[in-house]
Amino acid sequence: MLTGPMLTASPRIPASTMEWRRFKYPQSLYRYFGLLAALTFICYSVVYLNIPLERFIGLFGRVGDLLANRYFPPDMDYIADPDYLASVLDTIKMGYLGALFGMLLAIPLAWFGSWNVSPSRRFLYPVARFLTMSTRAVHETIWAILFVTVLGYGMLAGVLALTMFCIGFAGKLFAVEIEAINMGPVEAMRATGANELQVFAYGVFPQVRVAFTGIGIYTWDVAFRAATVVGFFGAGGMGWYLKRNVLEIETHRVAAIMVSIIALVLVSEGVSAWARVRVAKAK
Amino acid sequence: MTVHAANPELVERISAARARKKTSRTLLAIVVLVLVAISVETTIVADTDWERMGSLGDVLQNAAKFFAVDWSLFPNLIGPALETIMVATLGTLLGVIVCVPATWFGALNITPFKPVTYPVARLMMTLSRSIHEIVWALFFVAAVGLGALAGVLAIAMRSVGFIAKMSAEAIEDLDPKPVEAIRAVGGSEFQVFIYAILPQVLPVIIGVVIFEWEINIRRSSILGLVGAGGLGLVFFRQMNTFNYAGVTSVIVAILILILFGEIVSHFTRKAVT
Repeated sequence: MLTGPMLTASPRIPASTMEWRRFKYPQSLYRYFGLLAALTFICYSVVYLNIPLERFIGLFGRVGDLLANRYFPPDMDYIADPDYLASVLDTIKMGYLGALFGMLLAIPLAWFGSWNVSPSRRFLYPVARFLTMSTRAVHETIWAILFVTVLGYGMLAGVLALTMFCIGFAGKLFAVEIEAINMGPVEAMRATGANELQVFAYGVFPQVRVAFTGIGIYTWDVAFRAATVVGFFGAGGMGWYLKRNVLEIETHRVAAIMVSIIALVLVSEGVSAWARVRVAKAK
Repeated sequence: MTVHAANPELVERISAARARKKTSRTLLAIVVLVLVAISVETTIVADTDWERMGSLGDVLQNAAKFFAVDWSLFPNLIGPALETIMVATLGTLLGVIVCVPATWFGALNITPFKPVTYPVARLMMTLSRSIHEIVWALFFVAAVGLGALAGVLAIAMRSVGFIAKMSAEAIEDLDPKPVEAIRAVGGSEFQVFIYAILPQVLPVIIGVVIFEWEINIRRSSILGLVGAGGLGLVFFRQMNTFNYAGVTSVIVAILILILFGEIVSHFTRKAVT
């Protein structure tokens, strides 16, 4: 179709506009300004926080020295102590209960807090969203301190702190899953006159069951990690041993406790990865 | 009825499989319930000092002290809140810097020496994610002393694992066609990296980093409890002086901060990807 004269007749494009750019004039300006603002904020925060940049040189050497001289070798006899092992078992139980209770409470919150199936968008939706957001925003150690203040030292405070944490953690992930479901079955059930609970139980839940199981296993894994430190503030479990030895500057024992935490978390991560693969296969 | 008559064996097999599935489900449910009962008995019932806690009324009275907000404290919270955001930002930034080698070693398709570097990088990622931020902070407070630097280092170490893992996965999922195209028109290795690899992975990585920054605000809000500055330190002081209304104000400030972080992260991620 294209003949010689037509090609040559096309107007000449000036060389300056021929250069390809991903972002045209106004967008590129916004981008540069955004970048500049971020960099300014970063530089300002280094100044504001009095971060001694010169200390970064040789930081690895000093940390290595510290590890080698004061934390090595870990006092392995200390963590073989039956009392300590009992506290490890308590920690596992705390994580388990916290994750379980948290998930049981998170399911209705996720139901109310997902826009597509929420029974009442005007009232329940914002309340549920606020509850999941605030339980997640407050760190598990803060929950632990609050519950210890109200209920006294012990594992009840730890379990409740982990429950609050898991409500927020699992609630958000559950709601994301529910918002991604196929609305066909839900509409079909509504058309036959099912009430909201029936719609959730038979239209929504079967679609997200497998995903919920995966999220549940992940929540348990995360709750266990959090359970290792809630005891630091008096909420039971191995965290108490950690606090005591940190305060007594028993660095070799602290090292041993850290080794035991890492080993336990690696095991729990392995178990959770294995279980999630199993669940995904069983789908 | 007719199906059963046509293929009795198949029906038999399916119903047997269903029955087996049902028994295993019931067994699982029983195991879960027994475990719950044991855990509740040993942790909650046996370990709680019910006498000290008193009646439900006492507990409610105890909890009621927190249901007041000390508004006069808010002007004093602006500085620590800023500090918390700054610690989170610098920690995330340092984490990104540290995670460059971890990502390079941890992505299967670019790792320099697979039998050694890949497992080392994966172990680093797991270690970084498995140690709680409180433990990291304790360690760095011991190493570099009290102050924001310990918090920045703790946040950085805690975020390396997640960022490196997600970035390595993004690099492993790279579409090889643009790489070949740039090579085919004679691009150098550097040009291949700039024009074929970076545009593919950068949006993913930036999204991950912003997400991690949002989580890090939550983490840095408590590092003050172990001496690393920010809102956690104010929380600790209010708690130790038994100013429960002040404790609630700090929690409200943390909520506002997290909400701010979520909004910023939402819009930045939208703008970037």
